[in-house]
Amino acid sequence: MPHDSPSLDKLLENPRLWRGRNPAQGMAGLASGLASGYERLDHHLPGGGWPQHALTEILTEHYGIGEIRLLMPALAALSRPEHSAEFSESGWIAWVAPPFQPYPPALQQWGIDLSRMLIVRPKTDKEVLWSAEQALSSGTCAAVLLWPDRLDDQAGRRLQLAAAKGNSWAIAFRPLTARSEPSAAALRIELQAQASGTCLSIIKNRGGRPAVLHDIF
Amino acid sequence: MVQYALAIDTPPAAPRTLTATPTAVQHLWFCAYLPNLSLEASGPSKDARVVVAEQRGIYRVLLACPKASTAGIQAGQSANAALALLPTLRVEERSILREQQAVERLATWLEQFTSVVCIAGRDVLLLEIAGSLRLYGGLPCLRQQVAAGLEQQGFAAALAIAPTPLAATWLARAGRRACVREPANIARVLRGLPLTCLNWPVAVCDSIRAMGVTRIGDCLRLPREGFARRFGVQRLLELDRALGRLPDPRTSWRAPERFCADHEMTEEQSDREILLAICHELLLSLERFLLTRQLGTQQLRFSFFHLRAPATQIFLGGAEFERHAEHWSELLRIRFERVLLPEPVIAVRLQAGRCQALSAVSGRLALQAKPAGSGRRYSMSQLVERLAARVGYQAVQGVTTVAEHRPQRAWRLQDFPGQALPVIRYQLRRPLWMLPEPTRLSAEHGYPLLQGRLILLEGPERLETGWWDDDGIARDYYTAMSPQGLRLWVFRNRQHAPTWYLHGFFG
Repeated sequence: MPHDSPSLDKLLENPRLWRGRNPAQGMAGLASGLASGYERLDHHLPGGGWPQHALTEILTEHYGIGEIRLLMPALAALSRPEHSAEFSESGWIAWVAPPFQPYPPALQQWGIDLSRMLIVRPKTDKEVLWSAEQALSSGTCAAVLLWPDRLDDQAGRRLQLAAAKGNSWAIAFRPLTARSEPSAAALRIELQAQASGTCLSIIKNRGGRPAVLHDIF
Repeated sequence: MVQYALAIDTPPAAPRTLTATPTAVQHLWFCAYLPNLSLEASGPSKDARVVVAEQRGIYRVLLACPKASTAGIQAGQSANAALALLPTLRVEERSILREQQAVERLATWLEQFTSVVCIAGRDVLLLEIAGSLRLYGGLPCLRQQVAAGLEQQGFAAALAIAPTPLAATWLARAGRRACVREPANIARVLRGLPLTCLNWPVAVCDSIRAMGVTRIGDCLRLPREGFARRFGVQRLLELDRALGRLPDPRTSWRAPERFCADHEMTEEQSDREILLAICHELLLSLERFLLTRQLGTQQLRFSFFHLRAPATQIFLGGAEFERHAEHWSELLRIRFERVLLPEPVIAVRLQAGRCQALSAVSGRLALQAKPAGSGRRYSMSQLVERLAARVGYQAVQGVTTVAEHRPQRAWRLQDFPGQALPVIRYQLRRPLWMLPEPTRLSAEHGYPLLQGRLILLEGPERLETGWWDDDGIARDYYTAMSPQGLRLWVFRNRQHAPTWYLHGFFG
């Protein structure tokens, strides 16, 4: 949105002015996002990428339609040494209750550092949430992926808080039926597999706007 | 006999060190003699009690506690006589095993003061303390700490310090609170001691006494040759060792490297907080045990014993070798929440698994600025331990790749994540999700079906053989697209009748 008017600049600097969206600069008060690796998606996300230190929800009808692929470039970036040079003990990625076995050779192909991957398979849903919360707030996990059976508003809020506390990124995978439930997530995305390609809808976008993207991959 | 002939004629000179430096290493032996061990080994008691032992078919009093003594009970009386004097008397049979365990427990405790602790006989503990004086703030301080510790554990000990182990032992047995630091002074101090403190056989002492010799000093004045002939060379050597004329090497006692401690309760207990507090006490003793050995452990087992049910076991495992009681206590607390005790608990046992040397790590200087953005609360290994304590050790795992062409064997789980692993390059993309077992797909005109006919996008990638471990495969892998837009990893088995299988999702 290039403009040359100095008076407009002055007006835009006024903190009382609310601006719906400015992907190029990021929102005031919002951390810059983590590039998703998909340019069209980044364009719609505030901060130009995945909201860090917050909860993201991904709703799908089936598992295996691309929900992990969508995250892979960002997870690989978190796993790279420059992101975690600060400590040898950070930059971990925790998978809590994945529905299938994440296949290590494929993860390695995507550039994930397997030596910093943790798979937790709790038996009950309560333990899933507890484990995810522990991992998020520990400050060692850069991202925590979880597949809860149920995630009510309160549990979502707890995850959101834990993610903010531990500077971690929580990603919850949920069925499409959860769409109507209220959620504390900063970002909610719905994925639908279609014969032509995968359709991605941004249902909730804190600091941004909902959008629909066809054929994301 | 021949090799002693010279030594018997003339007293040997004090041993010289073989090192070139003239300053000889001076030892200082601290002796703790436990005269009432057989009584104290069975723990403290408020009642009057005696320990009895069987002598020629009659139980005789071996040792009486002060209360029993005031009632007139003396050692050597028969148990019946003692009971007649004091009907409320508690009579305990002597247990050599219990005494030995008590001495070993004390030796373990004393190991914190020095690395050389010897169990010299049934009721004598010897510590070599020359090297520990500085650390413990001098001899009086060390002596006071040992004395206070022994008293706290319920043992009355006679303490003595001398440059040779035997001299210290004799002084302690004689009840002298002596502290001899110079080897030259040993002879002077020992001279006045009675023969009884030598703990020689009664027959030997009696025959020495029959010569009119009642003190050690008199023994020393006897002609050496005659003394050796009448009472044995061993006795003469003992005197020489006590005086420091001959070296007296001792083997230091080593506590067993596996830790095992029990806590028995007087009544059944089901209050979880109290049980946790008991476990914490056990963990503290484990910490002391490990600290003295510079060790850490990775596995612990708690056994909670019940009167009418098999013991409840709790295993704790750590990601790293650890010794701190606080650390284990926290893990136990998380774990304990989910444990159902069938009955109240009567005893708790703590056993430690394999131990490993644990070197201390220098902490970060407080002045150093913390790296920005560190929201860290605890380390990764702590996180793994916490998770494992709650959801189970099998449920928290890392993954690794294996250099192997067969997809189902190209990876494995590993217990504690964080180890380095090989990076393997594959030509074609692998799916992100794997099914635990390939699922058979129906086929139509030779093409696989899954909610409609699949379109093969990429492939085939032929993966074959494994004759060396009888798990051979012959598969053509394809990337396929379902009518719903799912990307699948399927293969055609070439071994028998060609069939299609689904093996993974590209996720």
